[in-house]
Amino acid sequence: MSMKRFVIIGNGPAANHAAKALRENSSESRITIFSKDPFRSYRAHLLPDFIAGLIKEEDLYNSSYAHYNEMDINLRLGQRVVSVDFSKRNVILDHKEVVPFDGLIVATGGKPRLPEQFQLFQDIMLTLKTPLDARMWVEKLSNVDSVLIIGGDLTSLSLTKALLKLHKRVKFILNDDAFWPVPLNEEIYRAVTGRLEQRGVEIVHCRRIRRITQLEENLLEVETDREILETGVLGAFFGLVPDVGFLARTGLDIDRGILVDEFLKTRFANVYAAGDCAQVYHPALRDYWVSIGHENATALGRIAALNLAGSHFEVQVKPESILEVGGVKINTSWWTEF
Amino acid sequence: MMANGFAPEGPINSNTEHEGPNVLYSTDPADFRYMTVNVPCQSACPALTNIPAYIRALYESKFGLSYEINRIVNLFPGTLGRICSRPCELKCRHGESELGKPVNICHIKRAAADFRPPGHTYLSPRFAPSGKSVCIVGSGPAGLAAAHDLAILGFDVTIYEACHEPGGMLRYGIPDFRLPRDILSEEIQNVLRLGISLKLGVNVGVDISLETIMADFNAVLVASGCYESMKLGVPGENLAGVYPGLEYVMDVAAGYKESIGKKVVVTGAGFTAFDCSRLALRLGAEDVSICIRGFEEDLRVTHDEILEAKREGIKIRSLSLSKQILGSDKVEGIEFQRTRPIERTSGGRRRVQPIEGSEFVVEADTVIVAIGQAPRPVTGSPGEKNDRGVLLADRKTFQSSTPGLYVTGDYLTGPTTVIEAIASGRRAAERIAQDLTGRNFREWAVRIQDFRITDRDRSWDVLPRIEMPTVLPVKDRFLNEEVVEVESGYSSEQAQEESKRCYLCYLHYEIDVAKCIYCRYCIDNAPRDCIKLVKQVLLDETGAVKELVETTNWLDVNAVVIDNSRCIRCGECVRVCPVDCISVSKVELLERPLVQESKA
Repeated sequence: MSMKRFVIIGNGPAANHAAKALRENSSESRITIFSKDPFRSYRAHLLPDFIAGLIKEEDLYNSSYAHYNEMDINLRLGQRVVSVDFSKRNVILDHKEVVPFDGLIVATGGKPRLPEQFQLFQDIMLTLKTPLDARMWVEKLSNVDSVLIIGGDLTSLSLTKALLKLHKRVKFILNDDAFWPVPLNEEIYRAVTGRLEQRGVEIVHCRRIRRITQLEENLLEVETDREILETGVLGAFFGLVPDVGFLARTGLDIDRGILVDEFLKTRFANVYAAGDCAQVYHPALRDYWVSIGHENATALGRIAALNLAGSHFEVQVKPESILEVGGVKINTSWWTEF
Repeated sequence: MMANGFAPEGPINSNTEHEGPNVLYSTDPADFRYMTVNVPCQSACPALTNIPAYIRALYESKFGLSYEINRIVNLFPGTLGRICSRPCELKCRHGESELGKPVNICHIKRAAADFRPPGHTYLSPRFAPSGKSVCIVGSGPAGLAAAHDLAILGFDVTIYEACHEPGGMLRYGIPDFRLPRDILSEEIQNVLRLGISLKLGVNVGVDISLETIMADFNAVLVASGCYESMKLGVPGENLAGVYPGLEYVMDVAAGYKESIGKKVVVTGAGFTAFDCSRLALRLGAEDVSICIRGFEEDLRVTHDEILEAKREGIKIRSLSLSKQILGSDKVEGIEFQRTRPIERTSGGRRRVQPIEGSEFVVEADTVIVAIGQAPRPVTGSPGEKNDRGVLLADRKTFQSSTPGLYVTGDYLTGPTTVIEAIASGRRAAERIAQDLTGRNFREWAVRIQDFRITDRDRSWDVLPRIEMPTVLPVKDRFLNEEVVEVESGYSSEQAQEESKRCYLCYLHYEIDVAKCIYCRYCIDNAPRDCIKLVKQVLLDETGAVKELVETTNWLDVNAVVIDNSRCIRCGECVRVCPVDCISVSKVELLERPLVQESKA
C-alpha cells in the first residue's frame, strides 16, 4: 500500500497539533504543512511583550526547525495555498505547484477583522496578528509618541499595556461596532474605559469615525462625529475572522468559517477543518459556533487529525464559554481567562 | 453565396481600422464553439456583447465606439454599466486562480457611456419598412429591446405600458441611488425615437383586452415581466408591518412610501432584498439585516453590492430559514431555524435543510419578504396557460399556442437579470420578424482577421483591479435633499487604466506545425501552461478542439499547440519564436445584417 499523503494548510496551534497527532497515529504517512507566512509557529499572546521590548523575537516562536525534522513533517513556509481542487484532491500553490493529497486539514486560523467602513483605510492602519505586524509596530513606535487605538478586542488591551510601558500617549476609541468578542453594553463599556483611564489612557467618546487623513508620514488626522484628533499611529483592533477567502468557490461550505460537523468533517471525504477557521454545528448547542483561543485550537486540531486517521471523536463544548457575536456564537477560552 | 438567397454585408461592429483583404466570416459550428471556450466573457454575456472590442476601443480613447459596440447588442450601456449582474466578470480569464481579479468589465462599460462624445455615430443598420405591425405589452428591458430591434428591422411598433412612465423593472424595481433616472430616461428615449409608439397607463387585460390588440396588429409580444411577489408561506405573513419586497421598492420609486420602522429584517438573497434593505436605511431605519438560508457565497448579487450594503451598516444573517413571523396584530419579530447546506440544485441554487430544535428569534418591527417574483396573469388572454393562468410559450420560438401571440423576457422564463431580459427580447424580435416576413434579417458569425501581435505590456498583467469609487463617508449618501448615486464612476483615466488589464482574449494565437522546429523556446517563455506538447488533438462533434492529449515522452510528441483557453495573449511566444511560426488573428463573434439579393 502506498504512503498516505496528508496536507495541513496553516501553521498555528491547530495545524501543529494536528500534525503531531497525525504523526503519532500514522507513522508511515507523508505530512506536509503549508504556511503562507515565512516564519515558524509563534505564540500570538506574546506579541505585545515583544513590542514592549520585554522579550526577543526568537522567544515568540514555538518549535525549532529540528523539531519538524525529528517528527518527519515537511514544513513549507512562505508558500501560499491559493486554491484546492477537491475533485482531483490537489492543493494549488501561489507559485503554480500542484500538490496531491489523500487527507487534508484546513487550519488557517483567523486574520484581523476590519469592518467594511474601515477597509478603505487599511493601508494606514496597523493590526497585530503576526510577528511581521509586531515588527511594523516596533519600527513605527520608534518614530512616534502617540497612538490611537480603534476597536477593543483583547489584543488591543494587551497592546495598550505594552504601549504604556513604552511611555506612549494612548487614546482609545471604543464603540459598539468595535468591541470583540462580546457585545459592548453600557456596563462593560464603563468597566473597560474606567480601567483604561486608571492606567492613563485617554478615552475618546464618539459614535463614529468620519474621516482619516494621512497628513505626514508619522501624522494622521482622524475626524470623529465629535472632534478632530491627531495621532502618530493608528491601530485597528476588531477581533479576528476566519482566514478562508482562498477557498471560496472550491465547493466547500463557507459561512463565517468552514462549515463542519461536530466531528470537524467538511462536505468532502477526508477533508477536515480545525481551529479558528472552522465553524462548527454542534447539536448540544443547537447552533453554529466559531472557536477562538489557543486551547480550543489545539484541541480541535488534535480531534481533526485523529478523525482523519480513522477515529470518531466529537468536539466537546462548554456552553458557559460560548459568546454570541454578530449572530455567530464564539467559543473563547480567552474570555474566561481575561 | 449563403443559403436562402442572402449574402453577407460588411461587419457592423468592429473597428474598421484594420479591415482589409485578410478578413473572413465563418458560421462553422466549430468556430462558434471556439468562441464559447476561448472568449469566456463574451459567451457568458446573455446578449453576447463583444467585450474585448469595447474595452480595446475605450483604451484607444474611442469612447463613442466603445459605447456603440455595447449599444447595438445590449441597448442600454449607461444603465447596464451601473446595474448589470456581470456574468462576464465571473468568467473573465483574469479572474482565474493565480491570475488575479477579473477585469472590471461593467464599470468600463459605464465609462464608455459617461465619456462618449455628444453626437457620436450610431452603427445600427436599419431595414426598409416591412408594412407589418407589432404590439408589445410592457416597456421593461425585454419589451424595449424587442421594440428596438423590431423597429430597426422595419416594423411599426406600439408598446402598451401599465405604468405612467416606461422602463418597467428598470424604473420601478431598481432604486435611483443605483440607477439615476436621467441616465435611464435618455437610453429609453434612444429606443423610442426610432418611431415607436408608446401608450402609457394602459393595463392590458384590464383597460384593453389582449384579443382586441391582436386584431389590430400582425403580432403581439407579451413582455410584462414578473410583478407578483412570492410569499414565504409561513404563519404571520399577513401581520401589519410585513411587506412584499418588490411592491415595497416600487412604492418607494413611485413616491408612495416615505417611512419605515426602526428594526427591519429583509428575507431574500437577490438584488431586490438588497435594494429593500438599502432603501430602508434611507427611509430612517436604524437596524437592518438581510436573512438568508445559505451563506454569502449564495447571494445573487455582486460583490460590490454586498460591500456597499455592509458599509452602510446592513448585517447579513446567514444559515437562517424563516419559520414564522411573530406578533399579535403587528410584527414583533421573526423566528428562524438554523440550516445545514446540502447539495445544490442542477441550476446551481443552494439547497438547505432546516435543523430541528435550532430555532431562534430576531426582533423586528418591519419584515420585508424579497424572495422572488412571478409573472402576473394577463386577464382574459387566449392561449395555453399554466395553473396560475400565466400565458405559456416555447422558450426557443417565443410562440404561444395562439398564432401571432408571443411571450418573452421574465414573463416567459421567470425572474432573471436585466441583461438576460434584453437578450430574450431581442431574440423574440428576431423570431417575430422571421415569422412575419419569411426571411432572416441578421446572423451571428465569427469574423476572423489577420492581426498583429498584442501591444499590451507584460507589466499590465499585474496591474491591480481598480474598484469603483463610491460616495464616502457613508453619511453623505443619506442626504435628504437629493438622491445620491452611490457609485461615483471612474474618471476617464481610471477607465483606461483598468482597460489595460483586459488580456484581449479575442486574439487567437496559433503555431504552424509545418514551420515549427520543436525548439520549445515558446514553452520556456510561457507565463503558464498555455503551450503544450501533445500527442493527439481530440475534436468534438462540431470539429472544435475538445481536448489536447499531452505527453511528457518526447518520442510521442506530434505537435506543439497553444491552448487558447489557457493563453493570456501576452505574445511572449511570438516574440521568442526563432522561425516565426506563430500567427495572431483577431476573432470576433458578431451579429451582421443579411442583405436580400436583387432578383434582377
